[in-house]
Amino acid sequence: MRDRLRVDRVSLSSGVVIAATGVVLLLDSSGAVDLAPGWMAVALTGAVGAILLLGGLLDGGEKRHD
Amino acid sequence: MNDDTSTQTAQPRRLRRSSRDRLLLGVAGGLGRYFRIDPVIFRIGFGVSILIGGLGALAYLLLAIFVPTDGDPDWAERIGDRLRSRGLWRALGLIAVGALALAGLFALAGGAAFAVALGWGVPVAIAVISVGALLALTAFRGGARWLIAPAVAIAIGAGAAAAADLDFRGGIGEREYTPTSAASIPADGYRLGVGRLIVDLRHLDWNRDRIVRLKVDLGAGQANVFVPRRVCVVGDTHVGAGESEIVGELNDGFDVDHGAGSDSSAVPRLQIDAEVDVGQLRVINSDTASVDNPGYGPDPLHEDTAPLRAAEATACATG
Repeated sequence: MRDRLRVDRVSLSSGVVIAATGVVLLLDSSGAVDLAPGWMAVALTGAVGAILLLGGLLDGGEKRHD
Repeated sequence: MNDDTSTQTAQPRRLRRSSRDRLLLGVAGGLGRYFRIDPVIFRIGFGVSILIGGLGALAYLLLAIFVPTDGDPDWAERIGDRLRSRGLWRALGLIAVGALALAGLFALAGGAAFAVALGWGVPVAIAVISVGALLALTAFRGGARWLIAPAVAIAIGAGAAAAADLDFRGGIGEREYTPTSAASIPADGYRLGVGRLIVDLRHLDWNRDRIVRLKVDLGAGQANVFVPRRVCVVGDTHVGAGESEIVGELNDGFDVDHGAGSDSSAVPRLQIDAEVDVGQLRVINSDTASVDNPGYGPDPLHEDTAPLRAAEATACATG
């Protein structure tokens, strides 16, 4: 039962971060906000960092529990 | 007894990366010990070669992977062992596949940036959201981690283009405009997406058109505006990334803003409003500069811009 409901938390967290980045891009492209290059760089590197960090933490945790 | 000297006398000399004398991966330290030369010389050599083409970085990386270390195996040695254990051709194949994958990611990022610059920012953003949502949904059915890298590449390309306000609308190629009257200049100015934009205002009748307003908008490339040397150039210019040469004033870098003419009211006068997202913007106040090769024509403009600055000062002071 537990195996059938098992969630790939790396894919889940990465998907959420990428979708959130897409929302930031959408807001900027539609003109709702006008992000300066510096803030966009912060958003993008933050997204990449979050994906790497969450991937490492969650994947490492799953391997330890296997 | 266990120092390097005794080891070298007891064993044949072999090339090993140094685990003691190392700044990065011990390549220069190992080479220095092998050739009995100060490792600093190799470090300088690698540094200089990186600056003049980058071949040194590749050589350093290959040496790090294929030359074992004299200490505990590090990540580079483990990669080398893995490649050797798989055989040379298979290793080369893996490298080729990796290079192709990397090239693909760069192509995705470039394509996304190009699409955003063409005005498709909203569809690209929606695509990124969709891929993110798809990735999250697949997590409940085993996941699709291979989607992470392409999605991130698209997001980075799109984000960079959006942040830089890249605008490639207006076409691609070379455009040359030679208006003969101020009335023939479009009110919204001249625009080009990617390429070379030339606006030669030296055929205007400046005795009749005393004040001319000009807007120039270029996405990426080179924009050259020519005016006679007796015309005072005033107004604001902006280069997102690249070089700006406005009536002899040279600046380069990111977000290069320039205000020419100090709001002079001298006539004849060009009131310019120019923007180049990426590339070079030049406003050349010379009667003899070549349209085809400005800077390397009759006037030594790009090499010595003092005559242009002097002409601008004279033109803006009189009138």
